[in-house]
Formats: sequence, C-alpha cells, structure tokens
Amino acid sequence: MEFLIEQILNGISTGSVYAIVAVGMTMIFGVLRAINFAHGEYYMLGTFGGWYAISALGVPYPVAIVIGVAVTAAIAFVIGRLVMERMIGAAPEASVVATLGVSLVLQNSVILAFGGSYKFFSEGYIEPVFFGDIGIAQQRLLIIGLCILVFAGLEWMVSHTRIGKAMRAVSQNTEACAVVGIDVRTVVIATFVLGTSLAAFSGILTAPVNVSVYGSMGEIITFKTLPIIVMGGLGNVRGTFIAAMILGIAESFVAGQFGLQYRDSVGFVTLILMLLWRPHGLFSSHARF
Amino acid sequence: MNLTEPYQSDGARGVQPLRLVLVLGLALVALCAPLVLGTYAVHAAVIAMIFLLPAHGLNLLVGYTGMLSLAQAAFFGLGAYTSALMSIHLGTSFPVNFAGAALMAAIVAVPLGIPALRLRTTSFVMCTLGFVIIGQAISKNWISVTRGDMGLSNIDKPTFRLLGASVEVAGPVQTYYLALAIGALATGVFWLLVRSPAGRNLVAIRENETLAESLGVPTWKYRLAAFVIAAAFAGAGGSLYVHYISVASPLMFQTIYTTTMLIIVLGGGAGSITGVVFGAFLFVGLSEGLRVTPELRMIAYGLCLLLLVFKFPKGFAPLLQKLWDRAGGITRKEGSA
Amino acid sequence: MTAPLTILEVKGLTKSYGAVRAVDSVDLHIDRGEILGLIGPNGSGKSTFFDCTTGLAEPDTGKVLLEGTEITNWPLNRIAREGRMLRSFQKTVVFKQLDVEENLVIAGQMFAFPSVASTFSFGRAARDRVAGLRRHARELIELTGLGHVAHMPAGNLSGGQQKLIQFASMLMPDPRLIMLDEPMAGINPKLIERVVDTIQYANREMGVSFLVIEHNIDVVTNLCSRAIVLDQGRKLCEGTPAEVIANKDVREAYLGG
Repeated sequence: MEFLIEQILNGISTGSVYAIVAVGMTMIFGVLRAINFAHGEYYMLGTFGGWYAISALGVPYPVAIVIGVAVTAAIAFVIGRLVMERMIGAAPEASVVATLGVSLVLQNSVILAFGGSYKFFSEGYIEPVFFGDIGIAQQRLLIIGLCILVFAGLEWMVSHTRIGKAMRAVSQNTEACAVVGIDVRTVVIATFVLGTSLAAFSGILTAPVNVSVYGSMGEIITFKTLPIIVMGGLGNVRGTFIAAMILGIAESFVAGQFGLQYRDSVGFVTLILMLLWRPHGLFSSHARF
Repeated sequence: MNLTEPYQSDGARGVQPLRLVLVLGLALVALCAPLVLGTYAVHAAVIAMIFLLPAHGLNLLVGYTGMLSLAQAAFFGLGAYTSALMSIHLGTSFPVNFAGAALMAAIVAVPLGIPALRLRTTSFVMCTLGFVIIGQAISKNWISVTRGDMGLSNIDKPTFRLLGASVEVAGPVQTYYLALAIGALATGVFWLLVRSPAGRNLVAIRENETLAESLGVPTWKYRLAAFVIAAAFAGAGGSLYVHYISVASPLMFQTIYTTTMLIIVLGGGAGSITGVVFGAFLFVGLSEGLRVTPELRMIAYGLCLLLLVFKFPKGFAPLLQKLWDRAGGITRKEGSA
Repeated sequence: MTAPLTILEVKGLTKSYGAVRAVDSVDLHIDRGEILGLIGPNGSGKSTFFDCTTGLAEPDTGKVLLEGTEITNWPLNRIAREGRMLRSFQKTVVFKQLDVEENLVIAGQMFAFPSVASTFSFGRAARDRVAGLRRHARELIELTGLGHVAHMPAGNLSGGQQKLIQFASMLMPDPRLIMLDEPMAGINPKLIERVVDTIQYANREMGVSFLVIEHNIDVVTNLCSRAIVLDQGRKLCEGTPAEVIANKDVREAYLGG
C-alpha cells in the first residue's frame, strides 16, 4: 500500500515536471500552429544555466533558478525574433525542419561549450519528508506545489491580463486578430519566450532530483512532451495538465512493474492507444487556453 | 512554405542535344566517380544512395500524396534488423535479404497505417513519430532477438550467389556500384510509379482530397498503398545500409536519421524526383563533409536547415527545373489568366 | 425489362445536427433525362440534403436509390465510381496546381481503370487508356470553350472558368446523373449563359440527368422542367418553375413572412 502511494506521489511529481514543460509547448502551438521540436532544448538550457550559476558562480539554488530562466528567456527571445516569428502562417513542414535545426544548433552548442560529459547538479532540497512510512523528497513536493502555482498563474493571466487575452485570441483565430489590430508578432514572441522559460524553469526544478546534467538531455523531454500535448488537445492548457499527470503516473507504474527501460516509450504507446480510441484527442482543441 | 512542385506533363518532346549531353555527362560522372574520388568521398556517395531509398518513399508521401510522415526511419530500422537477422540466422544471400526487408516493412506498414491514416495533420505526424520511438524501444528491449543496445554486429557484406559461386561486395568502391545500381533501379521504379495513373491519383489527393473522392478516387486505399510502398522503399534502404556498415543497433532510430530523410526530400524539393536525388547527394555530402568535430558538424547542419527553410522554401527543385528547361531551350512562363 | 423511368429516388431522408433537423423526411425523385431544380432560402437544408444523397454525410434515416439500387451510406467515391452519379461543390474546387487537361484526365481515371490495382500499371495498355482519356478531355475542353487555357494551372483561372473545369470534369466519366450545387454562384453573366448551354447540351446529347441547386430564378425557369422547394428542412412544394414561383408559401419562406 505504501509502495502504491509512493508510486502515485512520484508519478504526480514527474507529471508536474512534464506539465510545466508541456504547457509552454502547447501554448506555442496554439499561437503558431507549429510543433516545436526544439522545446526540450530549452529545458536543457535552463538546467545548464542553473548548473553553471551554482558551480561557477557559487550562487544559492533559488538564485540559480532565476539565472537559468533569465538566460533561457534571453536566448529564446533571439531565436523567437530570428526563427519563430517567421513561422507565422508557414506550412507545417517548414516549422518541423526549422525547429529540428534549432534543436541541433542549441544542443550541440552546449556540448561544444561545456563538453559532452555528465555534470553533477549538487543543489536543491533532496532531504525526504515522511508522512507515516511514506517518504518523499522535499524537492518533489516543491515541484508539485510550483506546478499548481504555474497553472493558476496561467489561468489568471489569460483571463485578466492584456497579453494573456491576446494570446488566447491569437490561438483562436490568428487572421481575425491581425484584422482587429492585435500585433500577432509580439504575441507570438511573448508566448514563445514564456513557453520556453517555463521549460527552463521545469528543468532547473527537476535537476536536483535527476542529479545529472548533459547536453543531449533535451531530446527525451521533447519526445515526452509531444504525446502529452497531442493527448491534451493541442493548444488546450487544462487538457495538457491532465494528460501530463496521466503520463507521469503511468510512467511511474510501468517503471515499477516492468522496469525502467520501458518507461520512455510509455508516452507514445499511450498516445497511439488513445488515438486509436479517439482520433480527435481526449480534450477538445477548440477549448483553447 | 509550399513544398510541392506542380505535376507537369513533359513540355518539349524529342531529344535536345544539350539535355542529352547533360544526362550522359551525369551518367559518366556517376560511373567514373570512384576512380577519381578518395575513399571517404566514395563512402559518402554510398550513404547518399542508400538514403535515397527511404527518401523516395518519403517523397511519395509528402510530395505526391501530401502526408508528412516521420515513420520512414522506423521502417528503415525494421528493414535493417530484418536483413541482419535473415543473414545471421538463415544465412541467405543479399538479394533475398533485400527483398525480405522490403517485404517485411511493407507487411508491418499495413497494420500501422490503417489506424495512423485515420489521423490528420499534427496527430498523424505524432503517431508516425511514435512508431520510431516504439521501434527504438523494441530494438533496445527485445534482447533475445536484437541483443539490445549491443546491437547485431558482423553482418555479412552483400553477397551474391551465382552458379554455386559466392561473390562478396566488399569495400566502398564495390559497394558504390551496387548502391548505384540499386539507386538507379529504385529511381526508375519510382519514376514509373508516379507517372502511372495511380501516381496521378495520389497527386489529386494531395491537391484536394474531397474533390478526388467526389471523382471516384478511393482516397483511403491510395493513401494506405502509398504508406506501404514508402515503407518498402525504406525497408530496402535499411537492408543495404546494414550490409554496408555491418551493424544494426538501436542508434538507427535516432532523430538524426529522420531529420536526414526529411531534409533530403524537403530540401531537394518534395514532388520532384531529380530534386530528391540531388538532395540525397547534397545533404548527405554536407553532413559527411562537415566532419570537423561532431558538435560543429551538427551546429552547421542545423544552420543549414534554417537557411534552407528561409532561403529555399521550395527546395532546390525549382532551380534544377530552370536548368533543365534552359538545357532544353524552353523559357517557361508563369501561367495566368 | 426496360430501364426504370426514375433514375434517383430518395425516401424519407432525415438528418439532424444536434437538436437541429437540417433535413426532415424529404422525398424526392428524378426522372431519367430530367433537369430538376432544388431551391430554398439559405439554411433550408439543400446542401445537407445534397451531402446525404451523395455520400459525403450519412443520413440518420431514409433511403437513397439509384436506378433501383440502394446506395444509402455508400461513400462518396463509390457513388461516383460505381453509380456514375457525380456532384459539384458550392465553393468551386479544382486541382489548383494541375493544368486544365490534367484535371479532366484525373476525373476520368477511376472510370477508365477497373480497380485500384490496375492504376498501378504502367504498361502499354494503361498508357493507351490514358491517351484515350486525354483525347476525351480535349473534346470536353473545346466544348466548354477552355481551349486557350488548357495547359494553364487551374488555380490561376477565373472563378467562372474554374466552374467550367469542374463541370467538364464531371462529364469525363460518362455520367448518368450530375448534382450541381449552385453552379452559377459568383460567376459573371456571360459565363452563366455558357454554363446553361453546356448543361443543356449534356442533357440533350449525352442523356445526363441533373439535380441543380440554384438561387437564380431565371436560370431555374430556363433550365428546369420541374422544381422542388425546401424550407427549414421540409419539402414545401413541387411543380413547374412557374407554379413554384407563384406559390404563396414559397413567397413567404423567401420573404421570411
């Protein structure tokens, strides 16, 4: 019984990590109608930013989070201006090739700069807390808590702020927005920077749990995020949250029951099974944001 | 970015001397290249001609039928493992393995294609990507058959059995001629395929599926047929690849294989046969030629992808077409009413 | 046994979208060689009726019989291929990147080749058959007056010319019945005349029956021997065009009275 609860708790914390990454990707899909194959790289950039701040500058973990997110946001802004804003209204093939290109450049630049070896992420709150016999790392609780905060914040943003409303509007109808005078380009860049910053944030939050940091770590995150956003109903924030939790818990069970080596294919297997059952996704992609 | 070229019936008939010179010249270059080039360049050319096979298949899907599939790498890997396992366990010769790999990929494509082709756009892309990820997981975890991460090694070089004698194709130069023969044959078959009435129906589906349907075209059957044929091309490519590099491992399902196939077709020019042939040599050559350090190579490759999307959104096919038209003395005007 | 007089018979066709009954138990028949008009205000269910009879949508209840064979729930492509009953779309659709001739050749292919497998052949027989289609296409291109643009991409032509391409495409397979969804919408008056002429020619010389959705009352009067009015998914009345126009209910439906 304890084992079961531990697995569920671990699943929820993994799900929270995925949720924060995936919500960024799904929002970017919403405004651009483009799949960002480089999304995991921003997760990696954030982690590296945090790791570098801690190991080279000696800053405490909370400061490292800020630095990691800020560095990623800056890089994302440049890539947003150079690449992503040209994806507005482009064919899907174009965005696939372009984001695969971005992914190659980012991943290998980091390996070139820091080497391909595994780095050790030493900070964070990894002491466990106990509820009866059930122990869970403080960091995992922190991740779950922050995930809830992030989603609450996003919900508030899209319904109460100008930029948030604009994001929702663009994701519903890009052409109409251009007509009524919403600057689609600005909204796309803002969404892109926000979405990738969330990926970076998630990366630094997870680093203490994963411990190792390496240049090609982003790819696996991309491949976990893709099935989540499709299951969640592309562009749908709440659906993404639920899909991420389902995947997190499913992975935790598969790893527990069948072994770790099957964990990484859970996402796509679940996706394909779901698409067999409901070809249009679990959640409507019309109810965006 | 409109990646597809209009389907054209041949403008000018008859033999233009300049075109003839161009074609014969290229054929001569292809035949003599290994005599002039260094081993490494010959190796790159072999890889290019191997990747041409899955690329033709992908072109059938993206360029002719209008479906963006990422599953070619999965069928490429499936073909490689099939061929390797046949060679190891049955000891069959290359032609048998090659046919077996293509057939296996085609057979597996049927149950995968039936559910996948119900999906559209992003869901379809994701589902086909899922096939690659699942293929990798199987190759890693079905250890009794695939030997997991260790992979299957020491696969025989392509061997042919003629009149009781066994001929082995070893080394880059010999493999070059084998790959050239297979590549030319595959291109010929592909050419006949897209020129057939079925090829025209596929283009109709790409252009407007509902209209095609309303004119009696059973679009579902054609899309499945295209998916299966594309898989067979990829499986055949995988077979040649595995007998050339002599190792089959889960690394064959890595993203870079998918990226390479995608870029050959989209960069060469989806919907254009010459574009894709050109793309295979250009992009494999580029990727092999950039081998300074692996990281710099990948960064440069990534930048090339971006450059391509923004500077040559239709790939190189339009440029090639212009060259071809000029050689035939045609100046093509943009039609308008 | 003589061929039945009725080419298409629809019995009690009903289709709902959610709570809305778009088509409500409509009966209709088209006689061989007839040009039947289908009119009604916007949202009266004409297009839904079209979609349900041609296999683009599945009716909830009701039967569609083509020359006595039940074709209810056949998919669009089978109705076209086996029934030789073709339809046009309200929004003009052509294969935009292909030239006019290729558009017509494609339209004929599924009728010239007996099966999907046979289209994969590239032997002499297949080439000859395509050459035959090409000749037939050229005749129809001349007939519709598109000769001067035969080798231009269809997408570059005017809306009216595209309507003609669409119409010529439907004549390629030697059809029995053609269903036209607003063939005159958005084309200039000069071309209207040509479209009307072509429809009459096909009807007279090729023995094609027609069902035409049309708003232009003059065209209906000119073209059709009989017309049916739909309103709110129900058949409001039926008769010669003159009778229909004179009908009080029809006037009310159109004026929203």
